[in-house]
Amino acid sequence: MSDQITFPDVVQLAVPFFIAAILAELLWIRVSGKGGRYETRDAITSLLMGAGNVTAGIALGFIAWGFFMYLWGLTPLDLGTAWWVILLCFVLDDLRYYWVHRFGHRIRWVWASHVNHHSSQHYNLTTALRQTWTYTFTFMMVVRAPLILLGFHPALVLFCGGLNLIYQFWIHTETIGRMPKWVEAVMNTPSHHRVHHGRNARYLDANYAGVFIVWDKMFGTFVPELDKEKPDYGLVHNLGTFNPIRVAFHEWVGIWHDVTQPGLSLRDRLMYCVAPPGWSHDGSRETSDQIKTRHLAAHPEQRGTPGF
Amino acid sequence: MPLTVLIALVVLGIAGVALLIHTTGLSQPCRFTTEAEARAAWTREFPLTDVTGVTLCRSGRAALIATPNGPGVVWPMGADSTARKLTNARVTPRDGGLTLHLSDYAAPTVRLYLDPDETALWAERIGTT
Ligand SMILES: [Zn+2]
Ligand SMILES: [Zn+2]
Repeated sequence: MSDQITFPDVVQLAVPFFIAAILAELLWIRVSGKGGRYETRDAITSLLMGAGNVTAGIALGFIAWGFFMYLWGLTPLDLGTAWWVILLCFVLDDLRYYWVHRFGHRIRWVWASHVNHHSSQHYNLTTALRQTWTYTFTFMMVVRAPLILLGFHPALVLFCGGLNLIYQFWIHTETIGRMPKWVEAVMNTPSHHRVHHGRNARYLDANYAGVFIVWDKMFGTFVPELDKEKPDYGLVHNLGTFNPIRVAFHEWVGIWHDVTQPGLSLRDRLMYCVAPPGWSHDGSRETSDQIKTRHLAAHPEQRGTPGF
Repeated sequence: MPLTVLIALVVLGIAGVALLIHTTGLSQPCRFTTEAEARAAWTREFPLTDVTGVTLCRSGRAALIATPNGPGVVWPMGADSTARKLTNARVTPRDGGLTLHLSDYAAPTVRLYLDPDETALWAERIGTT
């Protein structure tokens, strides 16, 4: 029966809204002279990454869908589509997002996909659309398995995931400073997510939330935006290309080079795939933990402050 | 949404936004106006590397950084900048300067805009990497 249920593809439906909001932000920045920066090639690359993400979803979506429908066939549970089931699914899928996102920063294999989203040195609404083309290859769809097995229909889970993505669009802006206190306390906001995009030592590996910032507070990864330390957006090592294909695949190519270099043990090769980004067999690179440690050695007075 | 409508929307949306950003004058690449600026841009990427010299080209569109472990280059990326150490770099002449070829998938080439007298100097310094 409920194998037949369908939900609208909300991300595709939101495309006109995305375009309108980008135009509005751009005009606001031009008129007011504050609230962020735009640059032509950066924005085009971000938008092409977004278009490629949707294309990859259409081309490869059947893999995750097939996996989910396989699980749906296994489970005896069916929670249906009552309003409270949809709400519960949305909240639990946001918890799923938190962990996938955290893995995305701590496991290089997943980072190879997620790094795309962080590859801009700008932070505006187009940055929100700078999305991966290679998510399917991270196998992170397995993190959704418990939801399906609990009886949430795959179409419902994907619907909630789409809403989650749309929510995260508006927080990629510098036009909004802080939201009302209760919003900042419970929800992911522009302020919290600016921290997530910061390459400052203080802000690395913080605020993985999708919709509800409470997950970061629960799991100890919350760092507030400090007025005295503006986020410096981008990667620890910024890209030297705007070519979307290079943006999409550069970290996969990096993994390949590292794994195939001569003279490594099998363990080293594996670590280049699954260790945190920045791990190296000879210690020639820095992980985020090492960057924080080095920063604290130079600024011991900051020990114990947010992010350290 | 029908696929054709989605495609049209995406294509027109990207083109429209790009045109608007460009016509409001936001395509101007970053320029280093002082050596200190170039040095700061380098240090933002390589905070651990000692800088022993900075050679800013007259166009302001790149700077050669001298370090104890060999040269590096810092250059504008749109309104911002990035930098690379010049290990295994190759340099080829071009009208108006040099093209740097790095063995880096995420930064394959850097166009250097140099005056003729600068070109010779830069080629010599980079050529040794
Ligand atoms: Zn992230
Ligand atoms: Zn983001």
